[in-house]
Amino acid sequence: MGAIRPDIASQMVDLCSALLLLTCFAIVAQRRLSACVDLFALQSVFLAVTAALVAFLTGIHHIYIAALLTVIIKVIVIPRILKKVIERLNVTRELVLNVNIPSSLLICGALVILAFYITQPIISLGFLLTKDSLAIALAIVLIGFFTMIARKKAVTQVVGFLVIENGLFLGATAAAYGMPLIVELGVFFDVLVAGLIIGIFTHRLQDTFDSVDTSKLTELRE
Amino acid sequence: MELALLVLIGAPLVAGLLSLGARRRRWMEWLQCAHAAVLLAAMSVVVINVAEGSVITVGILLRADALSVFLDLMLAFVGATGLLYALGYMGEELTRGHVLHRRYNRFFCLFNLYLFAMLLAANVDNIALMWIAIEGSTLSAALLIGFEKTKAALEAGWKYIILSFVGIALALFGTVLVYYASEHVLGVSMEALRWEELYRVAPDLNPTALKLAFVFVLIGYGTKAGVAPMHTWLPDAHGEAPTPVSAMLSGLMLNLALYAVLRLKSIVDRTVGVDFTGPILLALGLLSVAIAAIFLLVQRDYKRLFAYSSIEHVGIALVGFGVGGPVGVFGGLFHMFNHALAKSTAFYAAGMVVLRRGHKTIERVTGLIRQMPLVGGSMLLAGLALAGMPPFGLFISEVLIATEAYGQRPWVAYVFLSLLAVAFATLLYQVSRMALGEPTEEDIPVTDRTRRFTTSALVVNLAAMGYAGTHMPGFLRDLFIPMTRLFGVMVEIP
Repeated sequence: MGAIRPDIASQMVDLCSALLLLTCFAIVAQRRLSACVDLFALQSVFLAVTAALVAFLTGIHHIYIAALLTVIIKVIVIPRILKKVIERLNVTRELVLNVNIPSSLLICGALVILAFYITQPIISLGFLLTKDSLAIALAIVLIGFFTMIARKKAVTQVVGFLVIENGLFLGATAAAYGMPLIVELGVFFDVLVAGLIIGIFTHRLQDTFDSVDTSKLTELRE
Repeated sequence: MELALLVLIGAPLVAGLLSLGARRRRWMEWLQCAHAAVLLAAMSVVVINVAEGSVITVGILLRADALSVFLDLMLAFVGATGLLYALGYMGEELTRGHVLHRRYNRFFCLFNLYLFAMLLAANVDNIALMWIAIEGSTLSAALLIGFEKTKAALEAGWKYIILSFVGIALALFGTVLVYYASEHVLGVSMEALRWEELYRVAPDLNPTALKLAFVFVLIGYGTKAGVAPMHTWLPDAHGEAPTPVSAMLSGLMLNLALYAVLRLKSIVDRTVGVDFTGPILLALGLLSVAIAAIFLLVQRDYKRLFAYSSIEHVGIALVGFGVGGPVGVFGGLFHMFNHALAKSTAFYAAGMVVLRRGHKTIERVTGLIRQMPLVGGSMLLAGLALAGMPPFGLFISEVLIATEAYGQRPWVAYVFLSLLAVAFATLLYQVSRMALGEPTEEDIPVTDRTRRFTTSALVVNLAAMGYAGTHMPGFLRDLFIPMTRLFGVMVEIP
């Protein structure tokens, strides 16, 4: 850990995780599709910084690789795919939401409290350095989940899914000091392929339904 | 033994890559038949060895114990007949010009990769790598479900992607929680993710963390298993996917997802006792059976009908694991096995009806037995088996589960049996209305080349279904004893 005092180190990790959580709220409050994608890229930057910080403070070097992959895949490749998809769409803003923005923000606040409440009994298991990260990770997962429910456009649902992934990744690196390298590589590979498949499907939706509004997918009902 | 396990897992990967280069239909047929034969041979070696009481391990990555091998048995057997069937089904689509040759190859590539991911997931000795393999099967399945590119197929594919990606993400969170708890005991290392180590240290793990992990994993993999209330993608996906894929989804993937839940259950039970996981599984199981029983009534599409029947059967297996005890656990496992056989048979028959009638509406299909005796007969037999009639295995497991439930909490048995009665009546009504009566529609002929493959797949599956119902094969009995021991109970099979 070198010259950095443990309490300061812990606060630095907390600060970075909190920034991740903050970008979640920004995504929930944003109607413009391309801005949502930018915010997701920003969140991934914070994620990479958190991972690099944990790698530096703990001396577990393979987390650097995870941080690097985060930058490549989640900051550069996936946002670029999503931007390409958005360029082809006939909408740039989401006008009708399932839940309006002020109530969404309130619900997300409640989700954060819920996440801290759920993880309270097991926080003591974790490492001192990253003790709040598990709660924040769960909060991000729940908010991502909520985003997928609250939005109708395929693109924002995808952003919600990616936010969930970021939360999981924060949980794995910060709270558990990273899974073994082979696991992390596998997870990244899966995320990348998932991103590609979602991209393919969004293209096909646009071509076939002339829209990416998922509320138009109503053929299969009981 | 190690070699056989490696061949079993590696064969689909190799065949998948080779099938991209198959320039003629005949090459593909030879390739996939060889693939099916290799799968069956390697599986037999693995099953026989493990049934004798050994555990096969390869390095630190693969480990096949009785539960894994039980899955291998289903994956390889139904996978092999599925390959034969797909050769017929997709070959017919190719002849009719519905798919181009490139997409025909791509279908088999994806289909084989899908089998590869499932076989890997069942045998990998690591809770996180299992997650990666299951995610891999989810990804290939997403492309297979949307394969036909119609509006409905796209919609089904999209629903599947959204629901199962979210589900699988939650399962990863559960996996991270297990690691979070186990590295506290075992330290930050690969060991903290391996099954054997997890079983060893399970009593020392933090109970709250494991409970939380189980809930996340159950919701996550439960979504893939089609457990209510996360089942909504299932009927759409099974209905719209090409029929060989529907058969694999129902017969194999649901069981694989159940396998993942069971693995976690066997660890969590050692930490907190069966009183935590049992009631949760029981409640979700009963809910699944109830929802399926209601929706079976209103189905107009026979592929969706069988899809809802899958939800019912997953629910029945969960009720078995939920009530627990040697009989309940054995009943649940035996149910999974017989369901894989009966449901794939039902879908093989349903796929032939799709090809020869050109639609999926139940009301317009009548007189199958007169027009196509083998297809109609198999559909009727599979329908009887799925409804829970003797002499098929599903009857045995349902009775066992009900008996065990009655012994523990009589009301569970009452609710369970009444729901089964509803499902029984509706399924039998719907299936017999298709199989019996006078045919009213023209038969669209299929080529002999197609028929050769689909007929052999149907006959082999029917034979296995009948055999397993009347007779417990020795190797299967030898597998059940260590499997039930994994759940802390011992079953005695006469």
